[in-house]
Amino acid sequence: MLGIYIHIPYCRTLCPYCDFVKVRTKTTVPEAFTDALCSEIDAYDGPVDAQSVFFGGGTPSLVPPAQLERILGALHNQFTFHDPEITLEANPDDVTDELVQAWKDLGINRISMGVQSFDERVLRYLGRRHDVGGAERACEIIARHFDSWNLDLIFGAKPIGAWEATLQRAVEINPPHIAAYGLTYEPGTPFEKRMDDAVDPDTSLELYKELERILADYDHYEISNFAKPGRASRHNLVYWNNGEYAGFGTGAYSYLDGVRARNHSSLEHYLEVPGEKEEALTLTRAEEKVETMIQYMRLHEGIPRADYETRFGCAIEADYGVALDALVARGLVECTSTHIRPTSEGFYLNNEIGLELLSAVLPE
Amino acid sequence: MDQKKIRNFCIIAHIDHGKSTLADRLLQFTNTGDVRKMKEQTLDTMDIERERGITIKSVAVQMNYTARDGETYSLHLIDTPGHVDFAYEVSRSLAACEGALLLVDAAQGVEAQTLANAYKAIEQNLEIIPVINKIDLPSADIESARVQIEDVIGLDSDMAVLTSAKAGIGTEDALEAIIKYVPPPSGNPDAPLRALIFDAVYDSYRGVVIYLRVVDGAIKKGQKIQLMSNGLKHDVTEVGVFHPEPEIKKELGAGEVGYMICSIKTLKDTQIGDTVTDALKPAEVALPGYEEIKPVVFCGLFPAVATDFNELRDALEKLQLNDCSFEYKADSSDALGLGFRLGFLGLLHMEIIQERLEREFDLTLVTTMPNVAYQVTMPDGEVIIVEKASQMPSAGDYELCEEPYIEADILVPTEYLSTVIDLCKKKRGIHVRVDYIDKRRCMAIYQMPLSEIVIDFYDILKSITRGYGSLEYRLIGYRPGNLAKLDILLNGESVDALSVITHRENAVAIGKLLASRLRKLIPRQQYEVAIQAALGGKIIVRETVKALRKNVTAKCYGGDITRKRKLLEKQKKGKKRMKQIGTVEVPQEAFMALLQLDDD
Repeated sequence: MLGIYIHIPYCRTLCPYCDFVKVRTKTTVPEAFTDALCSEIDAYDGPVDAQSVFFGGGTPSLVPPAQLERILGALHNQFTFHDPEITLEANPDDVTDELVQAWKDLGINRISMGVQSFDERVLRYLGRRHDVGGAERACEIIARHFDSWNLDLIFGAKPIGAWEATLQRAVEINPPHIAAYGLTYEPGTPFEKRMDDAVDPDTSLELYKELERILADYDHYEISNFAKPGRASRHNLVYWNNGEYAGFGTGAYSYLDGVRARNHSSLEHYLEVPGEKEEALTLTRAEEKVETMIQYMRLHEGIPRADYETRFGCAIEADYGVALDALVARGLVECTSTHIRPTSEGFYLNNEIGLELLSAVLPE
Repeated sequence: MDQKKIRNFCIIAHIDHGKSTLADRLLQFTNTGDVRKMKEQTLDTMDIERERGITIKSVAVQMNYTARDGETYSLHLIDTPGHVDFAYEVSRSLAACEGALLLVDAAQGVEAQTLANAYKAIEQNLEIIPVINKIDLPSADIESARVQIEDVIGLDSDMAVLTSAKAGIGTEDALEAIIKYVPPPSGNPDAPLRALIFDAVYDSYRGVVIYLRVVDGAIKKGQKIQLMSNGLKHDVTEVGVFHPEPEIKKELGAGEVGYMICSIKTLKDTQIGDTVTDALKPAEVALPGYEEIKPVVFCGLFPAVATDFNELRDALEKLQLNDCSFEYKADSSDALGLGFRLGFLGLLHMEIIQERLEREFDLTLVTTMPNVAYQVTMPDGEVIIVEKASQMPSAGDYELCEEPYIEADILVPTEYLSTVIDLCKKKRGIHVRVDYIDKRRCMAIYQMPLSEIVIDFYDILKSITRGYGSLEYRLIGYRPGNLAKLDILLNGESVDALSVITHRENAVAIGKLLASRLRKLIPRQQYEVAIQAALGGKIIVRETVKALRKNVTAKCYGGDITRKRKLLEKQKKGKKRMKQIGTVEVPQEAFMALLQLDDD
């Protein structure tokens, strides 16, 4: 079943580390964008059974409820939803009781809060528009309204010593889901110039282990994701299971029928010709297989052997025998009777698993 | 053709003094060649020559010039390489000429190579015409250039031609000077054929094209000729001249320079410096040849992927058809597997061959540190030649180890003299003398082990003299040295391809340098890597590459999958360029670690 991703490329302020497609807006998301988005959805003619919607950005909390209603209406016209998880990313500053109630009324049942830190210095370093007080107030409101919600955190930002206290505060707030990402200094972002601030891999690992230790009560189900029982992100699991997804909005990716395609990432272009693709890659069977493996290896439970056999008609060992032996010898992967899964070392050195698998199936 | 109307000349110059540009102007002025096809540096046909601004192969061009005296002359320009590594090509070209244009940069003055080549030309009795080039530069100092031409080279500066090849100034004056000063050839047109082979190139369609200078007699199509070195006879299928495109001629007469194609299939069968004579009416005495050139710098060349070995062998075979100045033979290394040991005339020559192999044959290669050849005398009196470190017997197992020495002429502005002397001392140089060229510049003459020059001497010299220092050297023989083999161990295993021969006094310093550079070059991997340098089995240095403990992509959602694939593909490519030695992945650059110039 499909996951549906909606990209809202508008922000009040631009965070200097972010390399997603986005533009500044002084007010809210313009009606013209919603028009374009709805026309793109209306023109969709792919598979229709869907299990989740994810409003990402950008800052989806800047979309006025009336426009959200139009977008959801367009989606309901096109897709058949099966007990959908509908997530919306929110900036803490935008969260009010009134707005949250409106989201709930529209059927949104999961919020992802871009908190990033509970330390003022870190928030300023990251160039966030909210402060600690605003984040705590927003979390309190969301927790009152939603059973399912996520708290986004970033580690490796200066001062790095603030990480432990941020984690302790997060545990006190007790959200059902936490996503914690190592800060990266991406080319093309203002942070590229601050590359010297980047922590070395050893320090990064220390911070990551602190995360694992303090969130011990959560299920560490994916490299950067932690959940209370039953609260794993169903939408994101589509990506990690290498399932199909339909993306709408500026720069959004779709993966349908073996083709991974991207919408135009220029907003002007998108508004003019909504849904026109900027790139499209038809994956070979071998690529699909190896990407499936690589994605599943991000999950603590790894890949169920049965899933692979059903999907590709052969046993995992038949495709990756030698590479798996090497990975087991390196202590990065474990093979059980039902699953192939990464070890904890396999989480820290996850790209090494990807490399080994990729080299085994696609030597050129 | 009447020999009185022929002039054969070459242009000798220091690198960057404008030789190729002047050649372009002479061709344009005499309407030689297809103007539409004209590019910069017309005579430098290889991409590498154009990119690096150097001439590697000799070229001969024929031009027709109607002089101010109303007569039309046939001029042959023999273009020569400008780098010290290709000095042998210069001597060869000089032997085909009666005169030379000696190009001096009006802003830079006389350089070490200008001098060395000028002396060679004087030795061969060539008439030398000084040409002061780049006179339009704001920094040009014509008077000072004149003084240097008089005082340093000992030529009459009154005959100097003033040019700016770039601006096209003085081209006609240069041509007139050639007519006036360069003597016409004086061979005997009626004597049996004698022609000097001064170069040869391989053409995949036509076989070997031989460049020659006819001294006596004439050579024509259909003639049966004989090579005087080996007595082999061939039928001439074509003769001609270059403009620089080939033009077929009925014959080449006495004094003319051009090409010959006969039934010779490979360059190996062509000896540069050989004399061509008529098989039916052979000359009695051959023309004076040249000294055979021996490679002085050696390195190992291995395919990055073992399965590419056959491709590398084919590539070397093909390249040698074009350039027989390098040698190769099969070699093997415990660390790098099957490959080849190559011998070169110098470091630049080595770089060029490597680059051509990678570029023209699309090969990914691992190159080991270059070294010189050592002569080792064993206790039973046998002398063995050591061309790679792993062949070096252990200390105590041999009587004597000798290494090649050179004498270097280093021309520098006087303010850099003390820095250069320090450098030479550090490189085990023996002071011979310092000559003062003029008020600003002097020439330091040092005898040094060649091994100290091949690594990084020229680059360091350039950098400590802000580019003003120039260098010329010649081999002067073998001398005993206190040498030792330095072994490099990775995780306790000695890696043959990383070991080097070094002077015992420098062993610790070199060991430290090598280990620290390897630490920087070897990427962190899943397990710690110990790098050790050992002298005679004793560990003298240790460095550690810490284990890689985290390599993970934090976010991986829809669009990130594309990005992650790209990242992994890039890392995979990086890994492919590495050599697996035991459990350690070693990047190719590591085998050249000593050559990396950085600030440690």
